[in-house]
Amino acid sequence: MDLSVEFMGLKLKNPVLVAAGPLTANGELMRKAVAAGAGAVVSKTIVNETRPKVRPRLAIAGDGMQNIELYTEFNLEEWEREIAYAKEHGAVVIANILAHTPSEMAYIARRVERFGADAIELGVACPHGEGIEGLFADPVQLYEFTKSVVAKVKIPVMVKLSPNVTNMAKMALAAEKAGAAAVSAIDTVRAIIGVDIESGKTILPTYGGYSGPAIRPIGLAAVAQIAQAVRIPVCGIGGISNYHHVLEYMMLGASTVQLCTSLLLNGVESLDGLLHDLAAWLEGHGVAGFAELRGRALTSLKSFEEIKVEPYVSQARGDCPAAACEKCLKACIYGAITRAGNRIAVDPELCTGCGLCLSVCPDKKFDWVWK
Amino acid sequence: MANIRDVAKRAGVSVATVSRVINGSPNVAPKTAQAVSAAMQELHFTPNGLARGLALNRTKTIALLLPSIVNPLYAQMAKGVEDVAHSKGYNVLLCNTDENVAKERSYVDMLLERRVDGLLLMTTRLEREDFAKLSERALPFVIIGRNIETLDANMVYTDYVLGGYLATEHLVEAEYECIAHISGPLSQLESREKLLGYQQALRQHRLAGDEQYVVAGDNEIEGGYLAAMKLLNMSPRPQAIFAANDLMAIGALDAAKTQNLRVPQDVAIVGFDDITMAAHVEPRLTTVAHPVHKMGLIAARLLFDDIDSGTAEAFGQKIFIRPKLRVRNSCGHQSRLQQIFN
Repeated sequence: MDLSVEFMGLKLKNPVLVAAGPLTANGELMRKAVAAGAGAVVSKTIVNETRPKVRPRLAIAGDGMQNIELYTEFNLEEWEREIAYAKEHGAVVIANILAHTPSEMAYIARRVERFGADAIELGVACPHGEGIEGLFADPVQLYEFTKSVVAKVKIPVMVKLSPNVTNMAKMALAAEKAGAAAVSAIDTVRAIIGVDIESGKTILPTYGGYSGPAIRPIGLAAVAQIAQAVRIPVCGIGGISNYHHVLEYMMLGASTVQLCTSLLLNGVESLDGLLHDLAAWLEGHGVAGFAELRGRALTSLKSFEEIKVEPYVSQARGDCPAAACEKCLKACIYGAITRAGNRIAVDPELCTGCGLCLSVCPDKKFDWVWK
Repeated sequence: MANIRDVAKRAGVSVATVSRVINGSPNVAPKTAQAVSAAMQELHFTPNGLARGLALNRTKTIALLLPSIVNPLYAQMAKGVEDVAHSKGYNVLLCNTDENVAKERSYVDMLLERRVDGLLLMTTRLEREDFAKLSERALPFVIIGRNIETLDANMVYTDYVLGGYLATEHLVEAEYECIAHISGPLSQLESREKLLGYQQALRQHRLAGDEQYVVAGDNEIEGGYLAAMKLLNMSPRPQAIFAANDLMAIGALDAAKTQNLRVPQDVAIVGFDDITMAAHVEPRLTTVAHPVHKMGLIAARLLFDDIDSGTAEAFGQKIFIRPKLRVRNSCGHQSRLQQIFN
């Protein structure tokens, strides 16, 4: 099945991109990502002044990963070769760049454009290394950076947004107004992944960025908000590891997506399976193109005023042989669920219809009924 | 010793082809290039740089004109320039102008004579007619530090007024009211701009700027020491000192020590530049980062864009680099969070 998409005027073989990070740190890695199936690669952040990498800089705990990596260790001149190499091997390269003033940002943008980059992503949203509010929290500043770059290059410019602000839609609007061709969201969430309570020290030695499955709900909400605020396309990022997640992002308005953490942990080759599953789902559902799906779920988002308070309660579907599982019993703070032998029952007078039992039951033994 | 003809003969190609290989021209088949390289190795042939320069009209040399090579700040800038120049196969000549325009002009003449391929002018005192002369001779140049708004040329500049403002405002936020300033020589534009930033911050926060608390130093440790001694003996004694560069701030730290004053408890000190040493003195110096290494990198990049392309597009680029406060321990401002996110 043809998964190709057009994004910011670029023709991509599919909408699944590899995000800026360790997997796109040089030409060879970018080539590998494309060979594994990536629709495009977003280079590691390219800067004027590099900085040595700290060790260690990645740590996993639970469903998430913290990183305290900054940007590339290659200088600007060396990126000419790396981008050319990736392009020789068929990569569509989106150069992620970072600078500290609009004029400097525009300068790097022009350089990477000359190196052959197909588009630019402004890497202004990293939560560490650039001050507590970084470059991402002020819409006026974001506008100025974006505008200055857009004015100087002919290739499309995408702006990566940070979830570490209260109103992401405002940031997306600033980028759109400045002439961005797209926005991507989300960059990592500022985090401390944990404390070693024996040594009394944090796992990594500074604040960092959180990624992986744990941030997917944050990414989904961000993409939905942005898609409801702007007309330019959105590239969804955050906790994607399978086709299901890709479709979730798309149904909330994303045109393309980016992956990093799951590929870091499962190998970039795992992209192949994801793309295969994605095609199979589309075929199975008779979907001809992504445009049919894009934003489909946005219409189900309502204001509280629009959500009708319907008298639904939970009802147990008869027998539950899993005697050891007391998840529903514990989760019902209203005391509406009782068990007698193999039978579970919900008292409709006590049930307030919160929905938690439907959600926690591993065997799906509950239904919604009109009271 | 083998010459280019011998190499051509051994490789079985023309002299022109050998020349193209030496100059890295793309119009040579890889196999031929290999044969030429092998012949060069066998004959221990190395191209004559001088002869090559004449033929290409390139000396593969650029010059960096600095106010003072004694100030470690400029060593950081030179390093940035050299990083890029080396990767391009260029040498860098260092010239010390002492901020003396006559000396700077004589250097420029000398460098024109030596046919350097480009000039990087840090804190230049040159004037419009000097720049016109460079343009006439088609010599690429980049101005570093200053933004000459009326001049259409490549520039990498920062904002010294803003830098002075940031340093002083930080001291105001730390709740000092009597804040002194050790300026650089006021004959220098840079020093006057930092002073202006200091005055603006005081005015903005409705603090009286008593002129006796502004003492001029010489941008060296010694001058900072002397100026601080003068300030610390005033009555009332200033609670904080903003020195216009880190060397003078280090001199001021010394002066406080001789007076048995603790920094920052008895007197707070903030510098300017963020030289490497600033993070290693005791107490660690709060300062305004003057990102000269980065400015050196960018200036060299702009220069090579111009040298390599020679097109109008590579000219007239003005890149602003923002000064940034680096909070450490000498200011008495207890914001650990700000330090971490510096």
